[in-house]
Amino acid sequence: MARIELVNLRKNYGTVAAVKNINLDIEDGEFVVLVGPSGCGKTTTLRMIAGFEDPSEGEVRIGGRVVNDLEPRDRGLGMVFQSHALFPHKSVAQNIEFGLRMKKVPAPERQQRIREVAEMVRITHLLNKMPGQCSGGESQRVALARTLVTNPSTFLLDEPLSSLDAKLRRELRAECDRLHEELKRTFIFVTHDQEEAMTLADRIVVMRDGIIEQIGSPMDIYSDPVSYFVADFFGSPSMNLIAGELSHENGAARFRSPTFDIELPAAFTGVAPGKFTLGVRPEHVRIHTAEDGAGGNGTGGKGTNRLPIRLVEPLGKDTLLYFNDGTERAFVAVSEGLELAMLKAGTPVSLSFDPNRLFVFGTDGRRVRPA
Amino acid sequence: MTKSRSRRITTIVRYFVLTVWAFIAFFPIYWMISTSFKVDTQWFAWPPYYFPDPPTLSNYLNVWFGAQEYTETQYAISSQTPLISLRNSIVIATTATLLSVVFGAVIAYGVSRYKILSEARMFQLLMLRMIPPIVIVAPLSLYYAMIGLLDTMTGLILIYFITSLPYAVWMTKSFIDEVPREVEQAAEILGASRWRTIFEVVLPLVRSGLVATFLFILILTWSEYLLALILSKTNVSTLPVELSKYQGTTEGKVYGRQAALSVGITVPLMIIGFLIRKHLARGFSFGMVRR
Repeated sequence: MARIELVNLRKNYGTVAAVKNINLDIEDGEFVVLVGPSGCGKTTTLRMIAGFEDPSEGEVRIGGRVVNDLEPRDRGLGMVFQSHALFPHKSVAQNIEFGLRMKKVPAPERQQRIREVAEMVRITHLLNKMPGQCSGGESQRVALARTLVTNPSTFLLDEPLSSLDAKLRRELRAECDRLHEELKRTFIFVTHDQEEAMTLADRIVVMRDGIIEQIGSPMDIYSDPVSYFVADFFGSPSMNLIAGELSHENGAARFRSPTFDIELPAAFTGVAPGKFTLGVRPEHVRIHTAEDGAGGNGTGGKGTNRLPIRLVEPLGKDTLLYFNDGTERAFVAVSEGLELAMLKAGTPVSLSFDPNRLFVFGTDGRRVRPA
Repeated sequence: MTKSRSRRITTIVRYFVLTVWAFIAFFPIYWMISTSFKVDTQWFAWPPYYFPDPPTLSNYLNVWFGAQEYTETQYAISSQTPLISLRNSIVIATTATLLSVVFGAVIAYGVSRYKILSEARMFQLLMLRMIPPIVIVAPLSLYYAMIGLLDTMTGLILIYFITSLPYAVWMTKSFIDEVPREVEQAAEILGASRWRTIFEVVLPLVRSGLVATFLFILILTWSEYLLALILSKTNVSTLPVELSKYQGTTEGKVYGRQAALSVGITVPLMIIGFLIRKHLARGFSFGMVRR
C-alpha cells in the first residue's frame, strides 16, 4: 500500500546538487532512518517525499504511483518537524483537531479521536493548554499526536528529537519505536545522530554529499561498513582509524604505522602494498597487562604494539582506555567491567587485535576487501 | 555602594530626559485642547492663559454645529460643515487604508514565500513613497481632471491607496517573514489548502502586525493635506483641508475654532489606538510568533 520508491532522484539548487541520483525502495511498514552529517541531503530527500520540494530529476512513487505532481496534502503522509511547528494560536486539542477538520471528519468523532491519540502519546493533561505553555518534550508529543490522528500511511520525521535534551531524546526515541510497533506503518526518520539511527532503524540509509553511501541493517552498517566514512560515523566511541602502510613480508601481509605493527589475515596477501588506513573498533582491542604474561604481539607477530595508557575512564559497565598513538584522535580500547580501571596513566600495556575484525580502507576511502 | 549610586544617578538622568521629552511632545496637544475651550480674547493673550477662564463650548458648537451665537463676523467659513468633512475623511481614509493593508498583505505574502518581487523591486516600491507629493500633485491634478477623478472620493482613495501601498507591503512582509515556513507546511500536509492555510494559520499569527500597519497607514491618510487640498475642490474636502480654512487672509486666525476642529480630528485616532492597544504593543515590538 505505502511502498515508497525513489527513482534516480536529484535536486539542484542553482548549480549546487543537494541530492544526486538517489535510488531507494522503502517497504510498507518499514522503519527507515536516513542518517548523515548536515548538508548530506537527507532532509532534502525527505522533503521531496513529502512534496515540499520538487525533484529536479527522477521520480517519487508512493504505492506504485508517481506523485511528483501531487500536492503534499494529497500524498497521504504525515510529517513531524524538527521545530515541532505547532500552531501557536491554537490550543493543543485544536492543534490535534486541525487535520481532522481538514478531512471533514464529523465533530463527535473528532473529539473521540483526539482523546484516543492524546492517551496514546500521554498528553491528555495538556489538551487545554496552548503550545507556548508546553515544554520541548511535550510539544514534540503534541506534534506526534497531531500527525497520528490523521492516520497517515507513512510518517516522515525530520530530526524530531534534535531540539530535546539527552534524557528526553531517549524517552521519545522509545516512544517512536513503540508507535511503530503498534501502528505497523512506514516510518522515515531523518537524523544526524548515529545512535538514534542504530536503535530505531530496521534499515539505515547512510548519506553523504547527496548520495547514498550504504544501506543496511544497523548490524550490517556497524560490522560491515563499506567505507572509511561509514566506519567513522557509526559507533561510540568511534572506530580507531590508523593511517599506515601495508606491506608483504615472508608471504604474510603486515600493516605498519609509527606506533603499530599488525599482521593481517592471510587473504590480504592479495592486496597490493601501499598506503592504507586500518580500522578497529575499540571493543575489538584486547589489552594485556604485564601480569597476564601474554606477548602483546599484534596477531602473533613481534611484540611492538605496546603503548602507555594516557587516560582511564571507568564507566561502570565498561572501562575506556585512551592511548597516545601520535595522531590527532586518541586510540581507544574498551574493556568490559572494571578490571582494568585500576591501571594508572603511564602504565605500558600490550594491545592485540582480533584479525577477523580489522577493516582496511584505501586512500579513496573505500573498504578494501581481500579476495 | 558606588555602583548602586551610579545606577541611581542614571535612573534620575533617564527620568529627567524622558520628562522633558514628554513635556515637549505633549505640550502642543495640551495647548490645542486648552485653546479649544478658550474665549476669543484669550487666544492671543499675553501673558498666556494656561487654563481657559472660564471654559467655553462655543468653539465646538460653532465649528461642528454651525452655531453663530458668539461672533457675528465669523460666518460660515466653508461651503460645507465639518461634519461632512468628517464623513469624507472617515470614508476616504478607512477605505484607502483597508485596501492598502489587504493588497499589501497579499503582495507581502507573495514576496515572503514566493519571492514574486526581487529585493531591487522591493526597494523600487519604497521609492514610490520617497517622491515628495508636491512633485506629482500638479500633473496628477491635470490627469485627474481629464479622467474625471478630480474632486471625487474615488480619486482620493485611489491616490492614498497607491501611495501607502509600499508601507503596507514592507510592514506586513516583516510580520509574515516571522511566521515559520514549517508551521505553514504542517498545515499543508495535514490537508489544508493554500487559502485555508493563509486564513487559519498565517493571518491569525500576523493579526497584531496587520492591526499595527492599519493604524500607521490610517494616521498617514487621515492627516494627509497636500494631495487632498489640490485634488479636491468643494465636494470632498477632508478634515485637514477644512482645518486650513480657519487661517486665512479673509477669516484671520481663528485659533479657538481651529483647536476645536483639531481635537475632533485627533480624538477618533486616539479612540482607535486605545481600542487596539493590545495589538499595537505586540505588533510594534515584532517577535510575536513563538518559535
